[in-house]
Amino acid sequence: MRSIRHHLSLILPLFAILFCIEYLMVFDRITESHEKSLKESYSIILVADRSAKLSDISHRDTLIERVEKIDAENVLRRIKADMNPESAEKIRSIMPLFFSIKLKRYADGERIERLRSELISIPGVRDVHIFEKVHDRLYAMLLFMKISFTVFSVLIGAISLLLLVKQMTIWQFEHRERMQIMSLFGAPVWLRSGVLFRLAVVDALLALLFVVSALLYLVNDPGVVKLLDAVGATPERLFRFDDITVLAGVSFAIAVFSAGWVVLRFKEEQ
Amino acid sequence: MRNVIEASALKLAYPRHEPVIKSATFEVRTGEFVFVTGASGSGKSTLLKSMYGSMPLSGGELQVGGIDMDSISGSKLYKLRRHIGIIFQDYKLIREWSVEKNVMLPLIIAGFPKDVCRAQAQKLLTHVKLSHKSDKYPPELSGGEQQRVAMARALAHNPFLILADEPTGNLDDYSSQVVWNLLERANEELETTILVVTHHIPEMFSAHYRHLMIENGVVYEIH
Repeated sequence: MRSIRHHLSLILPLFAILFCIEYLMVFDRITESHEKSLKESYSIILVADRSAKLSDISHRDTLIERVEKIDAENVLRRIKADMNPESAEKIRSIMPLFFSIKLKRYADGERIERLRSELISIPGVRDVHIFEKVHDRLYAMLLFMKISFTVFSVLIGAISLLLLVKQMTIWQFEHRERMQIMSLFGAPVWLRSGVLFRLAVVDALLALLFVVSALLYLVNDPGVVKLLDAVGATPERLFRFDDITVLAGVSFAIAVFSAGWVVLRFKEEQ
Repeated sequence: MRNVIEASALKLAYPRHEPVIKSATFEVRTGEFVFVTGASGSGKSTLLKSMYGSMPLSGGELQVGGIDMDSISGSKLYKLRRHIGIIFQDYKLIREWSVEKNVMLPLIIAGFPKDVCRAQAQKLLTHVKLSHKSDKYPPELSGGEQQRVAMARALAHNPFLILADEPTGNLDDYSSQVVWNLLERANEELETTILVVTHHIPEMFSAHYRHLMIENGVVYEIH
C-alpha cells in the first residue's frame, strides 16, 4: 500500500503534465488545420500595370505566402475569334497584369484591409479584389478555446509541478537515511542514488503508459470520434505515434531531474 | 607494527564554536584494541567522526591507513571508507532492507557478485547467531539484535579498522556482553584494529587494550 502511494505521488503529477502537453499539441494541430482551410477561403486578385514587378508585390507584406501571375492568354484567345487581329493585338498591349495572392495564414477582416492598403500603394497596382467567405466568428471561437485550454493546461501544469516539488522534498527525507548510511560505507553516488533513479524512471514509464492508454482509448471512443468529426478533425489529430517521443522525453526528463535534484541536495551529516 | 591511526596536535571544531578537541596526539597500531573514554560532550564521537571523514580538521594532522584526512578528496575518502567498518550507537541499519542485505552492504559497495555477498552475509549472521533472522527487517528486531547485525555488517568486508561509537549505549547487559565478545573475537582472531568510543570500559573485558581519555578537549593516554 505504501509502495503504491509512493509511486502514485510521482505518477499523478507526471500524468497531468503529460496530458496537458498532449492537449496543447492536439489543439495546436486542430487550429492549424482550421487556419489552413480558412485561408484557402480567401481569393485575392491584384490588377496591375505592366510596370508592376512580381518581387515588389511578394515582399510587400509578411502575410503574403506567394504571388502567382494569372495567364491572360486564355481569355484573349476566346475574344480573339470575334475581332480582327489588330484590335486583338491592341487589347493585348493595353491589357493589365493579373496576380493571384496566397496567404501564409488566416487573417481577420482588419488585417486583410491593411493588406489591401499595402498592395494598392505599390506603384503600378490599379486595383485589389478580395473575394472572401467570412469565418471570423468561427476562427475567433477556436482561438478563444485554444487560449482557454492553454491557460487551463498551464495552471494544471503549475499545480502538478508544485506537487512534484513537494514530492522531491518528501524524497529528500525518505532517502536521506539510506543514502547517509551507504555514504558512510563508501558507496559512490551512482550506487546510493540508484534506488531513487530506478523509482523515478519506473514512474516516468508508468505515467507515459497511462497517458498513451488514455489517449488510445479516446481516439477509439465512438463519441469522441463523432465530436472530432463535428469540428472537422480526424482521430489522427488527437493522437499521433510521434507524440509518444515528445511525451516520453518530457516524462523522463522531469523524473530524472527530480531524482537528480534530490541527489545533488544530499549532504552528509556532521 | 605500523600505525593505523596517527594524530598530531589534532584540533576539531564545529563552525562558529569553540574547539571540541583542542589537542590530540596519539597513534593506534595494527591489531590494537583501543578504548577512548570521556564525559558526555567531551568530543569522543567528534574524534571518531574525524577518523571516517565526517568531520573536517580545524588544525593539526590526522592520518588513517596512511592517508592524510585533511587533504583527502571525495573519491579517496569513499575508497578509504570501503576498508573501514563502522558501528554506531543507533545501529544505522537501512530499515527497508532485510537483515541479510544490510550485512551485504559493504560487499555490494565493493562490487562482489551477489552470491559471494550472500554467502559471506550468511556466514557472519551465523557468527552473530542471527542466521534465522536473515529475512527479517531491522524494525522487527530488538536493539541487541540490531547491534549484532551492525557488527556483522562492520566485519563483512574484512576491514583493517573498526570504529565503534558507543556500541552498547542502547543495550541491556546481556546484549552488551555479546557485542563486547564479538569485538574481542574480531580483534583476536582477525587481528582487526578496533577503536571504541565509550563512557565506561566494561568490567568483564578481558582482552589486552589501550585506554585514551578525553578531558577538556585534550586526549591523554591512560595506559
